[in-house]
Amino acid sequence: MFPWVDGFHWSPGHIIFLSLFFVVVLTIVSTFARAIWRTASDFRTHHAAETCWRLNFAELPEAERRCRHELAGRLDNRICPNAFDCRHCAQYAEFAALPAKAASLQAGVSFSSDLLYHRGHTWVRPEADGALTIGLDELAQHLIGRPDSVQLPAQGSAVESNGVAWRMTKNGHEIQVRAPVDGTVVATGGDKQGWYLKLRPHHPVNLRHLLRDAEVPGWLAGELDRLQLQFSTPNAQPCLADGGTLMSDLMDAMPAADWDAVLAATFLQA
Amino acid sequence: MADLLLIDRRLIARGVTRSSTLRFMFWLVPWVALVALGVYAAALCLYYGLNQTHMDNRFAFGMWIYLDLGMIAMGAGAFFTGFLVYILKQEDLKPILNSAVVVGLICYSGAVAVLMVDVGQPLRAWFTFWHPNTHSMLTEVTFCITCYLFVLILEYLPVLLRNRQMRKVPSFLVFEYQLHKMVPVLAGLGAFLSFFHQGSLGGLYGVLRGRPFAFRQGFAIWPSTFFLFILSALAVGPSFLMLVTATAETLAGRRLALPSVFRKLGFISGVLLGIYVAAKAIDTLIWLNVTSRAVGFSPWDFYSYKPFGSALLFLEIVPLGLLPAILLTLPMTNKKRGWVLCGAALACSGVLLNRFILTVQTLALPTLPFDDFLQYIPSWQEVATFTGVIAYGVILYSLSYRYLPLFGQAKGVDKNVSVG
Repeated sequence: MFPWVDGFHWSPGHIIFLSLFFVVVLTIVSTFARAIWRTASDFRTHHAAETCWRLNFAELPEAERRCRHELAGRLDNRICPNAFDCRHCAQYAEFAALPAKAASLQAGVSFSSDLLYHRGHTWVRPEADGALTIGLDELAQHLIGRPDSVQLPAQGSAVESNGVAWRMTKNGHEIQVRAPVDGTVVATGGDKQGWYLKLRPHHPVNLRHLLRDAEVPGWLAGELDRLQLQFSTPNAQPCLADGGTLMSDLMDAMPAADWDAVLAATFLQA
Repeated sequence: MADLLLIDRRLIARGVTRSSTLRFMFWLVPWVALVALGVYAAALCLYYGLNQTHMDNRFAFGMWIYLDLGMIAMGAGAFFTGFLVYILKQEDLKPILNSAVVVGLICYSGAVAVLMVDVGQPLRAWFTFWHPNTHSMLTEVTFCITCYLFVLILEYLPVLLRNRQMRKVPSFLVFEYQLHKMVPVLAGLGAFLSFFHQGSLGGLYGVLRGRPFAFRQGFAIWPSTFFLFILSALAVGPSFLMLVTATAETLAGRRLALPSVFRKLGFISGVLLGIYVAAKAIDTLIWLNVTSRAVGFSPWDFYSYKPFGSALLFLEIVPLGLLPAILLTLPMTNKKRGWVLCGAALACSGVLLNRFILTVQTLALPTLPFDDFLQYIPSWQEVATFTGVIAYGVILYSLSYRYLPLFGQAKGVDKNVSVG
């Protein structure tokens, strides 16, 4: 294999064969090494969370990738091509100018027009001091109730938009809540306080990607429809809806439901 | 048991329905038993030596080498599909690419495992790399198959990392994305390596001057069997992939690939098979009239030993060669799934028969006046190792199908979504 190894010959056949072999081996090794290096580079330059989110987004079912303007009734059918980041959407202004159709929502889930909503069921409230308060929306709270444990990020740590903001466990299920915005954690709360994180944004804040106004009821109505389907008994016959409101602490109330699927769809996990 | 059910359910991709855990476990049980028996048989062979087999100094190639040649030909679908998708940009074949990679990995890893038992002394396996005999076709085969196995592992890694639980680890997800971006390089490398080792496996027989039934003339240092093996592997790789997909569809009870994918693979397979059959027919005519007579043999004498009569030659070229080529290529039959699968099954049978003839018939035939016609029947250890490898393939494919995105989900990042 090498000049100092027994059996090596300085013949053209030998040299050509071994050269080709070494080129192939180097190509395989360098391909693998390059993938590792690029991965490390993505983490170093803080692109990893963005990459993960976009890969995850691409794997979400179409029903979970609907454009906010469809939710608001401005468009009939549109899948978001920007991984829910409307800040880079070239057509945002064009669609936002269209009249919205307000959807009524009477399912026991309330929302506030003072809050901005992320599709991962978090809300954001800009504070007077420039900080952003983040909490779980009411639908998510109805599902989870009181979590068994909450793992919040340390103060001073950085949170990246669509990365993991905090983790919770409930009945053996791990729940990763997506961060609606970038920022540095300045304070942490919990379910008792009604909010989970206070962030100081890294850059001048642009919250255009978060849902607001007429988009919110449209989105929540779709989410409630999804939950009804996920909670329905397989092969159930068509039946008349009987109204009612969403119960609280559904994970305890309906332990037999497919919570793996429900939580994945609720918190945007592919 | 409840934990097992939960783990199983959590490993299955969201929104995907699979059979119940219990049913899947029942499906695996017989295959696991076969693997266990195969491992035991292989251990006997490695511990006691090749006296556990019915091979000897004269019948040095047997069931295992036949399995190797067969599996490597069938596994050609992996490199060829990768070549079609990434190099020739046949994007419509992308949905079956992951399945092709798994089939290739099974075929090549199975072949390497059997070779290790066959060669024996696995602790000295590195000798062949450290002291290569560059005049031997087997050296080229060993180098190329080993390298290609690593290529297949690298191609399988992104598929594996797309498992639902693996995706939750950010570093795995980013690594999968970065590795996936480099798959075209691996596809090109796979095509290069496969071209040579498929050929060298054929060349191995073509250079056997002492075996005039197999010996062939050729081009430069390569006998005609070098090119025939490449062509036949290219032809049956897509056919075998179709058969695997159709079997998976039957077992899963759902369509996994579009009819257009079957039609395209069938057509490619048919055209290549047609070229192979023509080349094989010409090669046979040259061998019958020139090569074997030049070394003092009457070629028809080779076919006087039953059961290896001339009917076998006819069977290989016409019903298992020309007929499937027509079935796969003609627009009338190419549109019908049944005919395409029938053609694919015939094509694979034809190439498997070709590998059997070259391995077993070549060694069974006498070559010297005092030689006898040899009979070889594999020992139970050989059969058990053989079936163990097949069972390993079934298990790996079943697990991959259950937990990984094998069909139609090779979309990677949405075309409209750019990653920073």
